[in-house]
Amino acid sequence: MTTPTTISTTTAAAPASLRLENLGRRIGDRAILDGVNLAVAPGECLALLGPSGCGKSTVLRLIAGLDAPDAGRILLDGDDITERPPARRQVAMVFQSYALYPHLSVARNLSLGMEVRGVPRGERDREVATVLQLLQLAEMGQRRPAELSGGQRQRVALARALLRRPRVFLLDEPMSNLDAQLREELRPQLRAILCGGSAPVVYVTHDQQEAMGIADRIAVLQDGRVQQCGTPQELYQAPANLIVAGFIGRPQINLLPQPDGTVLGLRPEHLVAVTEGGLPVRVLSREWHGASQQLLVASPQGELRWTCAGNLSIGAELRLGWAREHEHRFVQTTGQRC
Amino acid sequence: MSALLLMAPALLLLLAVFVWPLLDYAWLSLQAQSVFTGLQPEPVGLANWQRLLADGRFWQDAGQTLRFAVVSVGLELVLGLGFALLLHQRWRGRGVVRTLTLLPWALPTTVMALGWRWIFNDPNGPINALLQSLGLASVPFLASPQLAWQTTVLADVWKTTPFVALLLLAGLQMIPADLYEAFALEGGSPWQSLWRVTLPLLRPYIFIVLLFRLAQALGVFDLVVVLTGGGPASSTESLAVYAYLNAMRFLDFGYSATVMLGMFVLLLISSAGLLLLQRRVQVRA
Repeated sequence: MTTPTTISTTTAAAPASLRLENLGRRIGDRAILDGVNLAVAPGECLALLGPSGCGKSTVLRLIAGLDAPDAGRILLDGDDITERPPARRQVAMVFQSYALYPHLSVARNLSLGMEVRGVPRGERDREVATVLQLLQLAEMGQRRPAELSGGQRQRVALARALLRRPRVFLLDEPMSNLDAQLREELRPQLRAILCGGSAPVVYVTHDQQEAMGIADRIAVLQDGRVQQCGTPQELYQAPANLIVAGFIGRPQINLLPQPDGTVLGLRPEHLVAVTEGGLPVRVLSREWHGASQQLLVASPQGELRWTCAGNLSIGAELRLGWAREHEHRFVQTTGQRC
Repeated sequence: MSALLLMAPALLLLLAVFVWPLLDYAWLSLQAQSVFTGLQPEPVGLANWQRLLADGRFWQDAGQTLRFAVVSVGLELVLGLGFALLLHQRWRGRGVVRTLTLLPWALPTTVMALGWRWIFNDPNGPINALLQSLGLASVPFLASPQLAWQTTVLADVWKTTPFVALLLLAGLQMIPADLYEAFALEGGSPWQSLWRVTLPLLRPYIFIVLLFRLAQALGVFDLVVVLTGGGPASSTESLAVYAYLNAMRFLDFGYSATVMLGMFVLLLISSAGLLLLQRRVQVRA
């Protein structure tokens, strides 16, 4: 590292790409992961999105080598690293708990890894000073983790990951211990620091907004399978099945079972008040959000969520319509898009 | 005022079980109360204390007690740590072994000491029987001063290592697994992680173990009385045994109290030393 502002040194010398092939893991009879295929390009940030228990953290632990898969391969830059111990994979992970060593100062937390890898002292000190500067932690070097705020701890964990010069960055819900405002502030910073280098980034989260904000592509995981993998736009505009449709977009999509065996999906933000046609509705409840209001309305097809720019009061009656291109249709039995 | 009131129960308890007996002993150490005084207390000033300072047997016993405590607690710490690390790993049958490991500690010391006395009996104990069947000479484990104190240490280590292992195992379970995982991802080997992560985080528990065990070992009594009776030639006699002999065999209560207080001072110095050491280590780390 030569100047505090460069980030080129934070990534491995050779561009790496990560490929997961048919990855499976079981605990007893239960399949935690079942045939997971994913590829992440150098510098690309892939978010693994799913509810808790969907197996997304397991994917990270398999890539890191902390758990072993029961099936499939993990390829890094073409090398099969499936059997390699974690110490020799050259991957960095930011843990949900941050996993900072409580008995060491921030500076020592950052240099310990280099110490055990045999980096000489002078170089260690230089690198730690540089990364502390980069992450605005310069004053914090001598403090213990317990004396830092949540956001500072998270940055220390990030700094430690950067100093590993990893071939892959793994982040396990790195924002979940921070308050909502801080999360929004940190998202662009995190993107600037991690993404666009030459190492692939895998980012685990259960927050779709965070995933859409930070990732180049999102893989939605449920029941141990990848339900869909694509850009945030693709997932929003053409969800592959009901699970993805329900997971991407807030407020949640309206799903209306139709007599012909399909399910009609309509996003709350795509409904508009019309004078003719559409569905007759009556406002049941409302939440005012400033720029818009969030309404729950009763229609002959059931209750609908509607994001409305105007100002309606409870009990108001009107008709709702939508453009054809905003219709999503799924097969009722399989849940697949049709 | 209300603070004092709220602390009063605890303070009263401390006064009753700690300060009062101590003051009583301090008073007794300034009296002659023996067969020569008809077992009635007579003030003698510092005579008992002067005798203590010049008493070769007291200092010999103090040295022996200290040596016993340091060597046995040292061994227990190393072995206990080994056991704790082993029992912390996941393996088949761990639960059973955990329970079995605790058995020696659950055994009353007297019973355990009788058992060892039989095992090391010369020439009829199982060990000597084994040696003889191999054509070797039997070993006077409890009759030679050098061997007798080593045997005492062995018995103590056998009995209290499980206690040390248990405390350290509790400490190990307090260390979050993701610290080890983070360390491994940074390229650390298991051996490095023992020295860089486990031991530093186990330090508070190690100090607790040392504090508990040193205090116990410096007051060793029942093990010595049953296993060797303090012999041969007082070579395994501890301060507690000496204080007991003064009171119950020589019927010299004043001097017994003085020996007891001498032992208390020794205990105080070693505990204070340990606490100071802990503070220094904490500040440096």
